[in-house]
Amino acid sequence: MVFHQRFRQFLFPSITPGFLIRVLCVGVFAYFFFAYVCTPLRIKGSSMEPTYHDGGFNFCWRPGYLFSKPKRHDVVAVRFAGRRVMLLKRVVALEGEQVEFIEGRLFVNGKEVAESYVRYPCHWNLPPRLVEKGSVYVVGDNRDMPIEHHYFGQTSAKRIEGTPLW
Amino acid sequence: MVKVKYIFVAALIVAVGGIAVSYLFPSEEKKIKKQFALLSESVSKDSDESPFGMVQKLRRVGSLFSEKCEVKTYLESLSGSYSPDEISAYASHGRALFSSLRLRFSDLKIEFSEMETAKVTLTARLTGRLTNGENVDESHEMESVLSKAGKKWLFTSFVMVEVLKK
Repeated sequence: MVFHQRFRQFLFPSITPGFLIRVLCVGVFAYFFFAYVCTPLRIKGSSMEPTYHDGGFNFCWRPGYLFSKPKRHDVVAVRFAGRRVMLLKRVVALEGEQVEFIEGRLFVNGKEVAESYVRYPCHWNLPPRLVEKGSVYVVGDNRDMPIEHHYFGQTSAKRIEGTPLW
Repeated sequence: MVKVKYIFVAALIVAVGGIAVSYLFPSEEKKIKKQFALLSESVSKDSDESPFGMVQKLRRVGSLFSEKCEVKTYLESLSGSYSPDEISAYASHGRALFSSLRLRFSDLKIEFSEMETAKVTLTARLTGRLTNGENVDESHEMESVLSKAGKKWLFTSFVMVEVLKK
């Protein structure tokens, strides 16, 4: 009987001042958490296939790079003017490194870098270029398209908003 | 109990008054955001758009721009200085390529740099379907300058920001 009453109280709580304060606290916490710490992402486009699929859902973990810098092979969210629209890309080269593609294979500082996440055939050729200070070089995992049709390149590390949660 | 009722009524009056004032006397920031909303609405196209609706929208596009508007994009062919009539003509030509089109602006950051001039950084997202059935989904960071002519804010420049540099 006591359990039944408690269960009923849990489902249909009395609207007391204490309850309203708790609801307000949860609401405020949820707002700040999902707006500034762990922002929801809806993935659109096939640039990161097969790692992330078109129409998928994820969260951008913003404290991910609070105390560390992005590393090679990290997947990062790159912002435009704000956080409403972001690009999901993979870091392939860091500042001061020389990056190039030969027949779809990635070379950093002249050495080939293995990329297990690239599953589709790729025949890109990109002449060597130096990643500027404070920047990273990002590319999508899906390279099964002409190089002109894939949006990738060097971007300021300041534009990196975080990393997907999974 | 009576006091609580009075406080509630007073708060309601203040809230309604605040909403009325903001609606009747919009801030300059709100006026600028309205211009972007109008541009977005005028460029966007539904698959069942009527010819009359199209003419109305194209007429409105031109009225949103100043006598000369500088445009800089990654496409050299689109960059240049345009009059409102030329912009309407370009919009008409561009819309004809699409069976449906949606242009949305988000993350607007408005800075009033000089008297009667505002610089806006924003993300522009263009989605739609071309007449050949191909889907288009592009996002770009833009910097736009608007100048005040009388009571209206008019677009004087649109510059595309390079977020990823190949």
